[in-house]
Amino acid sequence: MTIYIQGIVYLFSINLISVMGLSLLTGFTGSFCFGQAGFMAVGAYTSGMLTKLVGWPLWLGIICGALAGALISIPIGLPTLKLKGDYFAIATLGFAEAVRLILENLQQYTGGARGIPGIETMDSPLPVLILALLIYILIRFYVSSTHGRSCIAIREDEMAANCIGINSPRMKTISFFVNGLLAGLAGALLAHYVGFIQPSMFGMAKSTELIIMVIFGGMHSVTGALFSTIILTSLPELLRAASIWRLVAYGLLVVIIMVVRPEGLLGSWELSPNNLKAIWNNLFNRKQSAREGN
Amino acid sequence: MYILEIDNLSKYFGGVKAVDDFNMKLEEGSITSIIGPNGAGKTTIFNLITGIYPPTKGSITLHGNSILGLPTYKIVDLGLARTFQNIRLFPNSTVLDNVRAACHDMANYTVLEGFFPSKRRYEQEKRIKERSMALLQTVGLADRAEEIASKLPYGYQRRLEIARALALNPKILLLDEPAAGMNPEESQNLMDFIRKMREKFALTTLLIEHHMEVVMSLSDYITVVDFGKTIATGTPKEVQNNPEVIKAYLGYGDKK
Amino acid sequence: MILQQIVNGLSIGSVYAMIAVGYSLVYSVLNFSNFAHGEILMIGSFMGFFLLSVLKVPFPIALALSMVGAGIVAMAIERFGYRPLRLRKAPTLYFMIAAMGFSVFLQNLAIIVFTPNFRTYPQLFPLTPITLGQVAIGRLDLVIFFISLISLSVLSLFIYRTKMGTAIRATAYNYRVASLMGINPDIVIGIVFFLAGGTAGLGGMLFGMKYTTYPWMGALTIKAFIAAVVGGLGSLPGAVLGSFILGMVETFASGYVSSSFRDLFSYAIMIIIIIFLPSGLLGKNTSEKA
Repeated sequence: MTIYIQGIVYLFSINLISVMGLSLLTGFTGSFCFGQAGFMAVGAYTSGMLTKLVGWPLWLGIICGALAGALISIPIGLPTLKLKGDYFAIATLGFAEAVRLILENLQQYTGGARGIPGIETMDSPLPVLILALLIYILIRFYVSSTHGRSCIAIREDEMAANCIGINSPRMKTISFFVNGLLAGLAGALLAHYVGFIQPSMFGMAKSTELIIMVIFGGMHSVTGALFSTIILTSLPELLRAASIWRLVAYGLLVVIIMVVRPEGLLGSWELSPNNLKAIWNNLFNRKQSAREGN
Repeated sequence: MYILEIDNLSKYFGGVKAVDDFNMKLEEGSITSIIGPNGAGKTTIFNLITGIYPPTKGSITLHGNSILGLPTYKIVDLGLARTFQNIRLFPNSTVLDNVRAACHDMANYTVLEGFFPSKRRYEQEKRIKERSMALLQTVGLADRAEEIASKLPYGYQRRLEIARALALNPKILLLDEPAAGMNPEESQNLMDFIRKMREKFALTTLLIEHHMEVVMSLSDYITVVDFGKTIATGTPKEVQNNPEVIKAYLGYGDKK
Repeated sequence: MILQQIVNGLSIGSVYAMIAVGYSLVYSVLNFSNFAHGEILMIGSFMGFFLLSVLKVPFPIALALSMVGAGIVAMAIERFGYRPLRLRKAPTLYFMIAAMGFSVFLQNLAIIVFTPNFRTYPQLFPLTPITLGQVAIGRLDLVIFFISLISLSVLSLFIYRTKMGTAIRATAYNYRVASLMGINPDIVIGIVFFLAGGTAGLGGMLFGMKYTTYPWMGALTIKAFIAAVVGGLGSLPGAVLGSFILGMVETFASGYVSSSFRDLFSYAIMIIIIIFLPSGLLGKNTSEKA
């Protein structure tokens, strides 16, 4: 594998892990998280500092990074997830900005704006890719479980969900916790892919990019998020020249999607043997279905 | 022994007394209706019973235990289910998933197990699906199970909402204007359906309704409210002959 | 020293108030956080900058033009982005996402069009401060304070004293009932966005005069969010109160602690308010209507 392809595989896998968390939280549970980069920063700095400054092994640092992301989500989620969605969106936005400010200002530990260089890197993107795809499968199982259905019910109508006995603050906190775990993991992996960390890697732009990946693919489809992560990770790498216009186009596309097709690319379609069979049948038995239609 | 007792229940929004000293006792297995003009506070009473608003004062007891201050989902767990005046389904979910969502108590696998396949999970999910389909059969929606809920015609949406409420295995069912927007034939079907449900599930039903034929033929007891106050209570006959009711409520209906 | 800080706090607080009031106004009517509010502010700020420094328009005219311009942009956003969602009765989440889309679009377009530079407004008022005893008040601060005081007063007169203002308040109180009473929600909401955009544009211009103007200055609206949350989401007097509290806290934090931790204090206040007083100082309901 060339370094170039390796880089894309790393970035795709890391983005996918973070996007899977967001897909569950925003796409399926309906809580708009505006500060994904903040959780990634927590994971990245936890793992980066533990491995470089304390000398812990790489794998342990990454696990701690993921746990740090999950744990920090609890004090933010508990007070805000009970309130209207706006409080949560604003609190996550404020959290991410606060994390960045703290990292920039605690210079003696974090190196301030220049960050921490010389972080141990990983040898191969393959384990990361396998982990990411595994997480995709786990999230798929979760959203089709009874707990996943409760999350969807909350997204669709929280009051109605409460009126069928769903404990919505609990379910939302769980989704937020899982999101924090995955974001922390993705952040830690990012630190060990790039080899250095800086607060500017975890700004608003990163949070926005990740949420856009969830929206493009279809907020109600895990597979949609997977596809759009593939496209939106590799496209900018292939079209470097157009990069300044990329975010302009993304922003406009998000508005158009919301106005015209809020269910995104795939709607609620998921990759499964049955669904593939249905496509196959549609493609090759068209005449038959046309006759049935008449 | 009454299954649900409401005493001196009041809810003030600022200076507006939406519900004022409301009293009601529900006999197990009975069908009771709350009637009254628009804005009389009927839906607010439902919102207070289901814990959506905290009451200003008063008490609500279910099976002799106070349910005041409990969050909605806990009250529902105690055996209370409701529908909404302006239908609140899970609009982008399928008809089947709307009902399945209410069957979450039938699955006892943990959140962590939700991320993995297992035999236990498979079997529980299978039972949930069977039961949901059976409920859809009861309300006549089994052949529409895979359709998106918001695409259903209005009358079917009402039935789906009732099926979703029944999936909770409630002891008490609160129906908020179930016959709204229905023609006489549809409301006749609805009445038959509610009677059938009472027999089949041993339900206690509390009904808010404007269609007088529905109320008078279905109800064992009626409570009349106006401006948040209870003005009469009794059997349909008693209420129909109550002069205050005629003045405050039925009188308006005659003029129309 | 303390008096000096209070004066500074009032000055920046009044700019925040201009931004927070419009944000809260939109929130009160449509019940969602308009994350594109900041980009309206940025557009207003750039309009003011070009009118003053390139076209050399007199100050009051530049002020009026950038207000109207920002108001029109806000109306256009509502017309093409939020109205279709509103007519479809889309969930709040979609509004927030569309708003984020507008924010990303406008901010990055501005980076391309205006280049990612900081612009400084031309010097309009002498730098020599007015001294009252030990307190030095910048002339510009004074102008900013009075402009925002006047515009907030005009806005509140409009909202609380005119027929259209009553219609706006009725729509905020109950959208459905208001439209049944013969109030055309499209017109009311259009005007709400014009007012919100206008005040944001004005706030952006005042901010640009005091500090600088740059394409990503929309991030400032997080201050408006905080002010609105502190005062109570959706409450206009709350937004103003929250803004002044925030302005005070910030100037005191940077005066007595450290300016690099200033923003952390703002977030801390917001978190404390959310935990202990979720409906803010003057807000009412934090839960959904049944």
